[in-house]
Amino acid sequence: MHIAGAHLTPIGDGDFLLEPTRGLDITDSDALIEEILRRVMKGVRLYYDLSELAIIDPVYYQWMSVLARACQTVNVKMICIHMQPTAAFALSQFLHELPPFECALDVERTNADERN
Amino acid sequence: MAKQKTVDAKVTLIEQLKLSIGGISAAIESQCQSVFGNNNLMSNDEIADFSLEFLELMVVLLASHDPLDTKQPAFTALRSFFGNMSRQILVRGGKMDDFVRYMQFLQRCFLTSLETDDQMDTADTRAILLLLSSLFNELTLSVFQAYLEEKERTINAQQDEIRETATPITEIWDGVLTLPIIGTLDSSRTMLMMEALLNRIASERASAVVMDVTGVRSINSQVSHHLIQMVRAIQLMGADAILTGIRPEIARALTSLNIDLGNVTTRASLSDGLKEAFRRLGVQVMTKQ
Repeated sequence: MHIAGAHLTPIGDGDFLLEPTRGLDITDSDALIEEILRRVMKGVRLYYDLSELAIIDPVYYQWMSVLARACQTVNVKMICIHMQPTAAFALSQFLHELPPFECALDVERTNADERN
Repeated sequence: MAKQKTVDAKVTLIEQLKLSIGGISAAIESQCQSVFGNNNLMSNDEIADFSLEFLELMVVLLASHDPLDTKQPAFTALRSFFGNMSRQILVRGGKMDDFVRYMQFLQRCFLTSLETDDQMDTADTRAILLLLSSLFNELTLSVFQAYLEEKERTINAQQDEIRETATPITEIWDGVLTLPIIGTLDSSRTMLMMEALLNRIASERASAVVMDVTGVRSINSQVSHHLIQMVRAIQLMGADAILTGIRPEIARALTSLNIDLGNVTTRASLSDGLKEAFRRLGVQVMTKQ
């Protein structure tokens, strides 16, 4: 199943990697979330790759939060990876609570942390 | 009429300069020697060169069509001469007021030489006085301009240095960064720190950051807000943030400010913070048997 504006790839051990492109349209988040959940609901973790995103604004954060909470309802953990310094800086300016997703440097680092 | 007077004044001045060049030059040199030579700000050769160059430039300026035209090359040359001289004096530790006093003396030198001329009437003297004061006012202004530019450059260089030393981020172990925060945390400093820290996390692929606040003198709601912002940004990058060195008075202040550090890992000292970082990395440090 194709997801418009994003690549969703199974990377083994029940993990999925979601790589959004510039064409990702988050205005229709309901349809997007349904499509993503349909693919990952038998998985364990969904890695959200933020390497292409220089800035995260409140609208984009809202989309990520909704997706993370939706993943939680199907027992999939969403982990954001490769967050850019500029994005982390911008996000920390308006974030007043803990985000509903985890953050990690990359996929390997998450797996290593979980082994520890 | 006024234009004619200016022409007369500059002609008279050039004549005066030619007539008493030796006396003026000697007076300038001796004053320069007493102001700058005694403090080792200028060597004797430099004093002689500067005096000669000044008189030459002054003659060229007075011989020009309009000596008060600040855009003409002769004026620019005299201005840059004073600019360079003042810069040199300041770099060597001289004072600006000494230099301005020296410039006032140069002006007085010309006026003193006029006193001996009996053929000049009041109108001529007035025109010369006006010409000299306008000229030297312009020059003093340009020297101040050069002085301010020099000061600004120094301040900028110092600010850059402070900025670099204010964020001493060290990779103390593979993937473990330490950042001792000393002094006051304001918005601009927090921004600089965060920028440097987040870039280091990305470039070093750091897993843990130990922030030591032993050197933070006082804390208010703004500072604590900045601290929490930094911790949050570190966590968003996927690294662990460990806050260490919270002194009792800071802890009390945080409590009274209703700041919740529940989600932040805190340790008493920097060494405890490092131990915690090592524990998370699975690194064990033990004494050799």
